[in-house]
Amino acid sequence: MSVPTTRRQVGIDLQESEENRPLIEAIRQDNPELTIRHLPGLVKLQSAGQIVINRETVEEHLGREWDTGEFQLAIVSYAGNFSEWDDDQIIVKWEH
Amino acid sequence: MQYELRYQVIEPKRQTYQNVIDRLGDQPASRYLEGTLDVEPRENFHYRPTWIQDRELYDPRYTALQLTDAYSFLDPRQYYYTPYVTNRAAAHDEFGKTLAYLEKRELLAKMPAQWRDLVASVVVPLRHFESGAQLITVNGARFAYGTSLEQCCTYAAFDRIGNAQMLSRVGIALANGTADVLTGAKSDWLEAAHLQPLRRLVEEIMIVDDWAEAVLAVDAVDQLLYPKLYAGLDEAALLGGAGAYSLVSQHFTSWFADQRKWLDALTNAWQSDPEHADANTAVLQQIEQTWGARAQEAVDTIDAAINARIGDQS
Repeated sequence: MSVPTTRRQVGIDLQESEENRPLIEAIRQDNPELTIRHLPGLVKLQSAGQIVINRETVEEHLGREWDTGEFQLAIVSYAGNFSEWDDDQIIVKWEH
Repeated sequence: MQYELRYQVIEPKRQTYQNVIDRLGDQPASRYLEGTLDVEPRENFHYRPTWIQDRELYDPRYTALQLTDAYSFLDPRQYYYTPYVTNRAAAHDEFGKTLAYLEKRELLAKMPAQWRDLVASVVVPLRHFESGAQLITVNGARFAYGTSLEQCCTYAAFDRIGNAQMLSRVGIALANGTADVLTGAKSDWLEAAHLQPLRRLVEEIMIVDDWAEAVLAVDAVDQLLYPKLYAGLDEAALLGGAGAYSLVSQHFTSWFADQRKWLDALTNAWQSDPEHADANTAVLQQIEQTWGARAQEAVDTIDAAINARIGDQS
């Protein structure tokens, strides 16, 4: 197998809602290369290689404590693997 | 026959309200920002207040602490009506559950005598302190300039009523459902020597003209009183057979942590203001010197009263 020359896209689809807006804003801040597409009721976030979600950034935008488990409530679909999902951080990327 | 399903996106003419667009551009904003930014009227006041002729009804000059842009401070908790009410309803629900547990087993009334005395004559009388702090904070809500600031004061003032209510309920539970402890606490507040410095201090703060100075002076008391009285006695209570007090005090400790969030952010905003930073820092230092010493004195007297009841804690 050849080594891929471009990093594959990973993506997360989130529900577009008042609640999720600070979350999207936090993901945008932590992932400078992120592309955001708005579909009706849905926001598609895509980035090459990986997407990182930090609890601290989300809490800053949300103004309250946030459990990484709450991410489950926002997510509709995703492309990639959840290579990390602990108390402080969620990382989505392709691992092979 | 075949149907083709397609969706059509209708772009809204504007994403948010004009007050937000003016500052952040046309993008979806949180409810907090929509209901906060530039909401307080700034011009076209028809009348001057008769009681202070050189000020407008809403005027930044009601305090020496200035912000170049009043909205450079935003509540880090992003409280507007709904999140505030939801949050506090949950907090008081929790407190209610704790208290129901304590009442069912009469745990407060069964505390050792010295702890009962401590709660009845030191802790419960502080509901009158909370009431004084409420007046001072609500004054801040009236005279603060900018919705973001005024909002925080309003909620903090309501919190004080809530705290006083929690203390009252503890008093009622301690007296097995009667008002005896509350009556005693009132006369303690008016007469007992260990509470007079604090009462005097609160009453003097009430007549301070500068709303921010007054709010910070109360905070100077809080910063000493809350850690000492609630978090500080936790271990002694658990070891001294007064677990009930520990269960009650945790609610005050968590309220105080919440209160700190906006006050710290506000002090920070004052100190890092692009134009007024130096002047603000000087004023803050002066407030700290004036009221910090007074607060220390008042809390030391209370501390001595605590030590006289349950032994030296320091």
